[in-house]
Amino acid sequence: MSDRSDSGAPPPSEDRPGPAQSPAPEQSPVQGQPGPGQPGPGQPANGHPWPPAPGYGPPAAPPVPGPLGYVPAPGYGPPPGPDAAPGPWPAPLPPYPGPWGPAAGPPPGGAEPRQRLHPLSPALHGAKSLVVVIAGLSWSTLSRVGFGWFAVLVTVFVLGATVLSVVSWWNTGYHLVGRELRVYEGLLWRRTRAIPLERLQAVEVVRPLLAQLTGLAELRLEVVGGGKTEAPLAYLSVAEATALRQRLLAVAGRCAPGPAPSAEPGAPAAPVPEGRRVHAVRNQDLLVSQLLTPQAFLLPVGLVFVGAQFLSEGSWSFIAVASTLTAMAGVVLQPIRRVLDDWSFRLDRDDGTLRVHNGLLETRMQTVPLHRVQTVRATWPLLWRMKGWLRLRLEVAGYSAGEVEDRNRPDRLLPVGDAETGVLVVAEVLPGVRLDALPATAPPSRARWLRPLSRKVVGAGLDEQVFVARSGLLTRQVTLVPYARIQSVRVTRGPVQRLLRLATVHADTAGGAGAAAVHRDLADAWELAAELTERSRAARRTDDDS
Amino acid sequence: MSGDGPAGLPPASRSALEPWPDTVRWQPISRDLIWVELIRLGIGLAVALVVLGVAWALAGHWLLGAAVGGALLLGVWRAITIVRAVRAWGYAERDDDLLVRHGLLVRRLSIVPYSRMQFVDVSAGPLERAFDLATVQLHTAAAASDARVPGLRPAEASRLRDRLTALGEDRAEGL
Repeated sequence: MSDRSDSGAPPPSEDRPGPAQSPAPEQSPVQGQPGPGQPGPGQPANGHPWPPAPGYGPPAAPPVPGPLGYVPAPGYGPPPGPDAAPGPWPAPLPPYPGPWGPAAGPPPGGAEPRQRLHPLSPALHGAKSLVVVIAGLSWSTLSRVGFGWFAVLVTVFVLGATVLSVVSWWNTGYHLVGRELRVYEGLLWRRTRAIPLERLQAVEVVRPLLAQLTGLAELRLEVVGGGKTEAPLAYLSVAEATALRQRLLAVAGRCAPGPAPSAEPGAPAAPVPEGRRVHAVRNQDLLVSQLLTPQAFLLPVGLVFVGAQFLSEGSWSFIAVASTLTAMAGVVLQPIRRVLDDWSFRLDRDDGTLRVHNGLLETRMQTVPLHRVQTVRATWPLLWRMKGWLRLRLEVAGYSAGEVEDRNRPDRLLPVGDAETGVLVVAEVLPGVRLDALPATAPPSRARWLRPLSRKVVGAGLDEQVFVARSGLLTRQVTLVPYARIQSVRVTRGPVQRLLRLATVHADTAGGAGAAAVHRDLADAWELAAELTERSRAARRTDDDS
Repeated sequence: MSGDGPAGLPPASRSALEPWPDTVRWQPISRDLIWVELIRLGIGLAVALVVLGVAWALAGHWLLGAAVGGALLLGVWRAITIVRAVRAWGYAERDDDLLVRHGLLVRRLSIVPYSRMQFVDVSAGPLERAFDLATVQLHTAAAASDARVPGLRPAEASRLRDRLTALGEDRAEGL
């Protein structure tokens, strides 16, 4: 599909230097000043620099020629050799090249020129839209208009999407200024987003199947307060993405309060070897674990139902079968998707950061600084109990609670594991916490009026480092919140609770739901709230000192 | 007022049940907020009554008449609770954290450390301004935190805001 879009806008290749030449004289004097530690006026590292785009020029210059002037192969081609080199970062350019550039001047602190995303990105976006378009048109449209027209429709939509993504690619740029990552985007509505890296919570390198085939990767940053994953840089070449991730984390770590908060009592003082493997999940276990889900159990039932339906009607029209299968796919595919997502799950520990690597068709490599972990949640699904398995998730500020679909919430810490593995991984993420020896007491017996079945199951306790909250009758769950991560403490008492002299104590964290000790005795609750406040203050102090 | 909540009560009367929240010196909020809330309620009620009344006059169904009566009853009940709710609202500044408590049916107490503060909002709507009031809201990184103090005199609001920001800077850690 992308070929069509390229041929759809066939400007002569000389067209490209055209707009780039006019502001060139302004650019050269700036390039003459070599930045501190920068190896002179080199080419930008990724080989596709941000030219003084006409779009950023005076309003008289129409930005339309820019996007259409996109030349696929000759200017860019496949990622050349220098692509792979993380350096040399070229001399600083003003952040707004073009006529306004000189006025702005190079910002202090060693800026670098704005860089484009990889030139293959629009093609990938276009290809990605193919799926969306087909899904949007749906089977009924196919049956109504026939295959030929359907193909034409799809082609038109995909072409449109590709052209739009070419425009967006042309206008998207990023660069690192001091301790900020700046991302520029938009054609009509310009948006410049400055991301202070001290607020960086996690970095993820995602490689969908197509990106894997083309050697590209998407870089996603998680920042506090973002409604969704902020600043997805899609796509960069793998080397670029890796290098950029390293730099971002280095910048972010410089001002962080120490790589790992609180000294680890058990760990040796010697520096941890690079990328120490903590745990790797056996794919076999993963498969079995997903077979032990309600969906997998319901699959045969569903198939029998559908089969019976068709047999009774006696007609097997293609459309009907296809629609039913599509509808069923949503439910049935979830275990399969989990298997694909968590395939070859590996957890590495690298000097204060945690690295999660997973995925078969779409690989994800997530890097979380340990002191950014807000909550760890252990879950024991009902069907897994016969195996004694559990699942671990972690919450990082920035993954919005709104994204219900767990595919978009890269919060996996352990997709499946036995009790010992759980203990091991938790001890790695929260030093000094033993998952198998957590204190938790159940609420008083009068809470049975509010929780007739699950009174004994819920509970809360104060461990040395973490607040422990237990819940769930069928799917047991334990939430661990480090004291240092508690944002605020709340005590709520509903009408029935007041009658029974009970109260619920919430510990709020940034991102995620936090943890709650439900239906505590009132005096206990006040004491618990005071204790949580006190402990979280003390923990923050030690965090500061370290 | 008596027995409707811990707001204005002397600490001794509930200290057996609530050991520490009552040893804190709670600051009440301005009683003028009662008027603000009552006027707000009155406007809402008037709109509802007009809509229902017109509908009743046009359609003449007895259910609409019942709805008018229901709305009136609800308004009266709400007016009573507003008075109590405003009296139940209180805040306290401790050395390291801000305490806010409110709510009648569901009693809520929030403890927000100054160091967790992300930003402070001071807002005042037209009604609040007419009564010379303002609202201070403390935001943390957690969406669930709720530390909102309505019904403050502007001077007190800006004093609280300044104190919060000053303390927040002192003890800032972000996350």
